[in-house]
Amino acid sequence: MSFTSLVPLIGISDVVIGLSLGSRLFLIAVGLSLIFGVLGVLNFAHGGFYMLGAYVTLAVVSNVIDNFWVAAAAGALAVGVVGAAIELSAIRRLYNRVDSDLDQLIVTFGFVLVIHETVRFIWGSGSYSIDPPDVFNFSVALGGSTFNAYRLVVIGLAVAVLVGLWLFITRTYFGSLVRGTSSDREMAAMLGVDVPRLYTGVFFLGSVLAGLGGALSAPLQATSPALGDQVIIDAFIVVVIGGLGSMSGAFVGAMLIGMMQSLGPQFISAGSIAIPFLAMVIVLLLRPEGLFGGIGE
Amino acid sequence: MSATDTGGRVSQFGSAVAEGWTRERFGLLGAVALILIAFGPPFQVYLFTDFLVVALFALGFNLLYGYTGLLSFGHGLFYAGGAYGIAIVLRDLGPVFADVVGAGISPLVTFVVGGVVGLALVVVVAVPVGWLSVRLEEIYFALITLAFGMLGYSLIIQDPAGLTNGTDGVIVLLGTVDLGGVSIRVGGRRLYYVISAITVVAATYGVWRIVNSPFGTVCKAIRESPDRAGALGIDVRHHRWMTFIVSAAIVGIAGVLRAGLASVASPGLTHWSTSAIAVIATVIGGATYFSGPIVGAFIFLYIRWGISRFPALEAYWELFFGALLIAVVLFFKQGAVGGLHLLRDRLVGDGGGGGAAEAGSRATSAPDEATESSDDDARTDRGDTS
Amino acid sequence: MTTVLKTEDLRKQFGELTAVDNVSIEIDDDKITSIIGPNGAGKTTFYNLLTGVLQPTAGSIWLRSGDGDELVDVTDAEPHEVAQAGLSRSYQITNIFEGLTVRENVRVARISHEGTRLDFRSRATGDESVEADVEELLELTGLTHIADTPCDTLSHGEKRTVEIALALAIEPNVFLMDEPTAGMNPTEVAEIVSLIRELDADLDATFVVTEHNMDVVTDISDRIVVLAEGAILADGTPEDVLTDERVTEAYLGSDSV
Repeated sequence: MSFTSLVPLIGISDVVIGLSLGSRLFLIAVGLSLIFGVLGVLNFAHGGFYMLGAYVTLAVVSNVIDNFWVAAAAGALAVGVVGAAIELSAIRRLYNRVDSDLDQLIVTFGFVLVIHETVRFIWGSGSYSIDPPDVFNFSVALGGSTFNAYRLVVIGLAVAVLVGLWLFITRTYFGSLVRGTSSDREMAAMLGVDVPRLYTGVFFLGSVLAGLGGALSAPLQATSPALGDQVIIDAFIVVVIGGLGSMSGAFVGAMLIGMMQSLGPQFISAGSIAIPFLAMVIVLLLRPEGLFGGIGE
Repeated sequence: MSATDTGGRVSQFGSAVAEGWTRERFGLLGAVALILIAFGPPFQVYLFTDFLVVALFALGFNLLYGYTGLLSFGHGLFYAGGAYGIAIVLRDLGPVFADVVGAGISPLVTFVVGGVVGLALVVVVAVPVGWLSVRLEEIYFALITLAFGMLGYSLIIQDPAGLTNGTDGVIVLLGTVDLGGVSIRVGGRRLYYVISAITVVAATYGVWRIVNSPFGTVCKAIRESPDRAGALGIDVRHHRWMTFIVSAAIVGIAGVLRAGLASVASPGLTHWSTSAIAVIATVIGGATYFSGPIVGAFIFLYIRWGISRFPALEAYWELFFGALLIAVVLFFKQGAVGGLHLLRDRLVGDGGGGGAAEAGSRATSAPDEATESSDDDARTDRGDTS
Repeated sequence: MTTVLKTEDLRKQFGELTAVDNVSIEIDDDKITSIIGPNGAGKTTFYNLLTGVLQPTAGSIWLRSGDGDELVDVTDAEPHEVAQAGLSRSYQITNIFEGLTVRENVRVARISHEGTRLDFRSRATGDESVEADVEELLELTGLTHIADTPCDTLSHGEKRTVEIALALAIEPNVFLMDEPTAGMNPTEVAEIVSLIRELDADLDATFVVTEHNMDVVTDISDRIVVLAEGAILADGTPEDVLTDERVTEAYLGSDSV
């Protein structure tokens, strides 16, 4: 009996696929985490934002301009605008309520339904897909397996976003306001920070990131109205494991879940889709602040 | 002038109605309506049964949300628990019961035993799940219940123990009772409606008693201020745990009924989107009222049905409920029942104030004995009508 | 004279900061004791330690429980266990069941005291002895006329009184009042002070008060304990403490001389 038959070979392509899945999860989770860290709002509609980003990108590519990068930027921005509008029109009204946390969750859940149905209304129930941009649309053969080069681009962009966000939060004036407000809203307001505008700004930024995640993933997945509901649950798992409010936590959590989605089925046949939820339960019970610290870390 | 006159007349009419309609009469009317519905067109009987089951689901959920202040996004787990409990008993033990009690009566016996097993299964799951979940509060409680629900969903789908039949679910065949020539299908719409109606009415009465008991009063106190409750010697975590179990059990009963109605126990019942139905119905109906989840379930089922009659809109009913949910939370948290109260107060003419203050001013002005007859639907936080 | 509450070398560290520094104190049942000190002196942390909200870093807390003379160790007890053992409190920011009526508020406390909170079969209003006790408490605290008013519609002073009724409903041996006159107008202050005096005379509970309003402190206290930087600075009768130079320096500071 040979030992190798018990341990399946991990192909490099599996790792790359896992990391690219993790990258798209990171983009949605980091926005979710940022918004929670600063505003204290758990945005149930964040998966819907992600899906919307993918749809807008597809629509722009096929109807407006045949340039993926322009379309992706348009998708991310459009979602940012939608997010800011939702913050301004709805979520804003709830900050000062006694049960604000739960009300916010329920309202953003309402937007899950609204976004889902609006997308279905405009684009129908079918699924769409596009090819990766031509420059990167080739196969890479490595260690006996192949994967699309575009996956490496997504991974690179996710790392770039992490670094960029980190610099933004720790090195810029706006970033210092964000950090200050997330640790003590009243104090920040007393020191003259325009908290409402900052909240809208952070919600916009978080939404842009979700939209970007959706846009960049459009070539890697079938885009359908069900996408938002699937991805929000994964994003919840990621932010809980990484720590609500933590950006590096979102990155590590996302990569962990991405790898699990890619490699998990090879190792454990039964119960593998249950493991992320089990992990979520365990982290919530033992370390509700997540495996990593607070915002900016 | 004439407007005032009309207003006066409307108000008089309102008072007359309010005085005439005591709780007993409302109860009688409800009972008559329940009986009449059994003779309606089959689809309407089915739809009404569906409403009753969803109402019980939401009512159980609201014991935890509206009464104790904990928002669960995982009650689908207990809905599914009841459904799978009875489905598996029917599938695996049906033939055994037929041998023991005779084929004629066995479908009914199996149904009852299956229901009890389903309920027991739910309690067995809820005891540890609740014990762990109540360690957390607010958003974290919502997240851990969501995780538990999805954990259950994953296990049911992957079916490691070979019990749940994966994504297809377990078919529920209720069978036919045969009593010396007279045969009745247990799953027949009318009989199943009768079974469901009796069960739901009994369970609703049970919940009503619970919320008006010392136990329920303490729940409301915990919702208002857990710290204060603790400082008065109440073990808040333990009380939440107990409430969690009771809430899950009520939802489990609804799940048992759901299995028979849908003729299948499917994994979708555990999914968070099913748990969300209880949230939608409860919030739209008004979580602070006992009857909120019931009215909300009614709105949910019947508006959905109404929308479905327009083919162009049929696919988009969720849009309507999404928008309604947002509007209710933002602008009118008392929900539909709160709206009905407001309307009644307008008609009876003891208006003044608006929104939440309305209920407050009413309670202020009404001495105890007056509250007894008029307050047929007490707010959860003013549930005592002694 | 009996000791109803005792701490021994009670200490609480938050990282580097020592919020409560080896406080040993005995509270006797025949006096109203006031605990005062400048902001940040550790009063609130001290209260939170006594009530089980925070766990001490070191030291112990003893409480007279029930009718016995024995002190029981409540150092590691949770808030509800401390309350059951006989210590009740009011909060600096009024903490009552806002959505319930005044009567329901008091009823909850009596249900807790009677230990019937898990009874889901009876009517909440069905226990005659509980109802009689509720009425008696409402009478005692002067709340009968607003018994059926939802608390979220009450005035600030009325809410404070409800909180006192709640705290007394569990028949405590010790009643810790955290800033009972905070945010009150002079009329309400006078009313609450006379209520405290009355209740102290009528009930077995021993009152321990923190207070900023020095008129109130000198008015009601038989004994004053001064906390500064987490430690006891002075302890004695109002005359002694308020003429103590260290106290004037540390607590009253330059602005109130």
